[in-house]
Amino acid sequence: MSAWKDVQKLSFTDASARERALGIVDEDTFTEFVGPRNKMSSPHLPILGEAIEFDDGIVTGVGLVGKRPVFVISQEGNFIGGSVGEVGGAKMVNTIRLALKAYEDVKEKYPDSYEERLPAVVISFETGGVRLHEANAGLLAHAEVMDQIQNARGKIPVITVIGSKVGCFGGMGFVAAATDIIVMNEEGRLGLTGPEVIEQEMGKDEFDAGNKALVFRTTGGKHKYIMQDCNFLVANKVAAFREQLEEIMEIPFAEVENYRRIGSLKLVEEQFELVKLAAELQPKDSKEMWKYYGNEDPDQLNELPFEEFLKNAKRRERNC
Amino acid sequence: MGIETMIGRGRDAIEMIFDQGSVQENVVEQYEFDAEIGPGAVVGTAKLEDETVTFIASDAQAINPRFNVVYFGVIGMEEAYKMALAVYRTMEVDKDKPLEEKRPIVLIVDTPGNGPGKIEEIIGMNKATGAYQLALAEARKIGHPIVAMVIGRAISGAFLCHGLQADNILSLAQDYGTMIHVMPLTSISRITKLDIERLEELSKGNPIFAAGVNFFYRLGGVEEIVENPEAMRPLIRKHIDSVRELKVSGQAEKLGPWGRGLLGDERGGRVLRKKVIELMDAQYEDIAEKYLTV
Repeated sequence: MSAWKDVQKLSFTDASARERALGIVDEDTFTEFVGPRNKMSSPHLPILGEAIEFDDGIVTGVGLVGKRPVFVISQEGNFIGGSVGEVGGAKMVNTIRLALKAYEDVKEKYPDSYEERLPAVVISFETGGVRLHEANAGLLAHAEVMDQIQNARGKIPVITVIGSKVGCFGGMGFVAAATDIIVMNEEGRLGLTGPEVIEQEMGKDEFDAGNKALVFRTTGGKHKYIMQDCNFLVANKVAAFREQLEEIMEIPFAEVENYRRIGSLKLVEEQFELVKLAAELQPKDSKEMWKYYGNEDPDQLNELPFEEFLKNAKRRERNC
Repeated sequence: MGIETMIGRGRDAIEMIFDQGSVQENVVEQYEFDAEIGPGAVVGTAKLEDETVTFIASDAQAINPRFNVVYFGVIGMEEAYKMALAVYRTMEVDKDKPLEEKRPIVLIVDTPGNGPGKIEEIIGMNKATGAYQLALAEARKIGHPIVAMVIGRAISGAFLCHGLQADNILSLAQDYGTMIHVMPLTSISRITKLDIERLEELSKGNPIFAAGVNFFYRLGGVEEIVENPEAMRPLIRKHIDSVRELKVSGQAEKLGPWGRGLLGDERGGRVLRKKVIELMDAQYEDIAEKYLTV
């Protein structure tokens, strides 16, 4: 059996960044850019006595889903928490840039049928954001990624997948929010300020980071699904993420914009209404939001097996 | 003249930078903003040497009565969406104007962070700060000159939110207590377990992790350092003009985050970025045909 077939069976959380990257596209189609063989590691880490990785903790490359080139960015949480430094940041930025180059190329080559070959970007996040050992370069790279995401608007879809142990926090939390479509599993978490940081800055009364159930309820996949902050919730298997991606690639590009949360005046007005609601409700727990959206027994809902949860969960209604 | 910090003085900066008597808060042409909502964000219209601009700043004295983590210049959810709205309204009122007449947006930067609270995480603070950044990026790309002026604190995610999507970034000199960093060296010391003296020594030769305006300058993260507050007004004017000139002459790639990447290489502070990009480009060229002609 091929490596690809083996990878399909893996749980997404247990898979490595490289396994996720090659497994999310069609069998044996993934080509890595600036992989370990190129030894583009961080020169800044050894100065501070840290070990390096030859891929700097980020796997980038291109694969296919059908006829469509899919540019993949996959972060490795086992290497310094998936943090973004100068090299990894540049790999992220340029992957989106190359996808946009491919977009121009297919448009030129196939002016009448380019949509069936429309490139896409998939980012598998597993990160807390900036790598402190090279914090300034990491921060500047975040701004560049955001800039490229805006460049992709109206041209190619940018899709987020979050199914890792580390989750997606810090600056990468808003990069993910800025993409078109978000896919998570129950294990995935998405936010800005991690629970430990909130507890450290604002105290245990604000957030008890040791309370794992609370942590998952606040930023976990189920909550994000109910809030419409993730579009699709899938089982924790590489195959499940890949199948979901295949379905997403069937969405006509003109409709992709409808999956977004932010990025236009209309969407900002919708989110502003949600903030007004939060100001009124002052939720102390995400369960209060679940209830507000019609889930009468949030605890029971939370206990349901994945498939049952999907069938029963009532989500925030989108007003546009 | 004694040196006085500008930290916490966003409103003073507005008065110092724009034409006397021209500042109108909570207004962008026909659009008005509710002063009670997002009190930590100060948005409005002013004139700079007779040209109409939109300004966006933080008010360090304001306390948001609805969100208890939002004070001292923190950008909360209301603040970030209010800032984003100011940008969208600016685009809207100028939508029929040619490139050379798009009104500038001036960001006055003094913020310690994005709202670090539980409600913020339940509702999604990441969306709020992301929304504002996308609005700025869109406005920049359709031609509005955006200049950020760091007067005080430009800390980590808050600087990404309010500043780093600008065309050009100016910063008051370090002597004024200006702070640009992800984390102070003391926190990096705790996390990396390296002692502070050693980190200070290392940071002299490598601007990549240490806190400070001058390091960001070397990395291309700040276009120009402003020596004193009196120089803010003429230099913001100068940068608006040069940004506009680059846009009109089709050289926008020299601006914004990508332009600062080029600048980081030029100044010798961020040289690996370019190597990585060039290697990737070459590797992609070798295989592109296979992926585009399936």
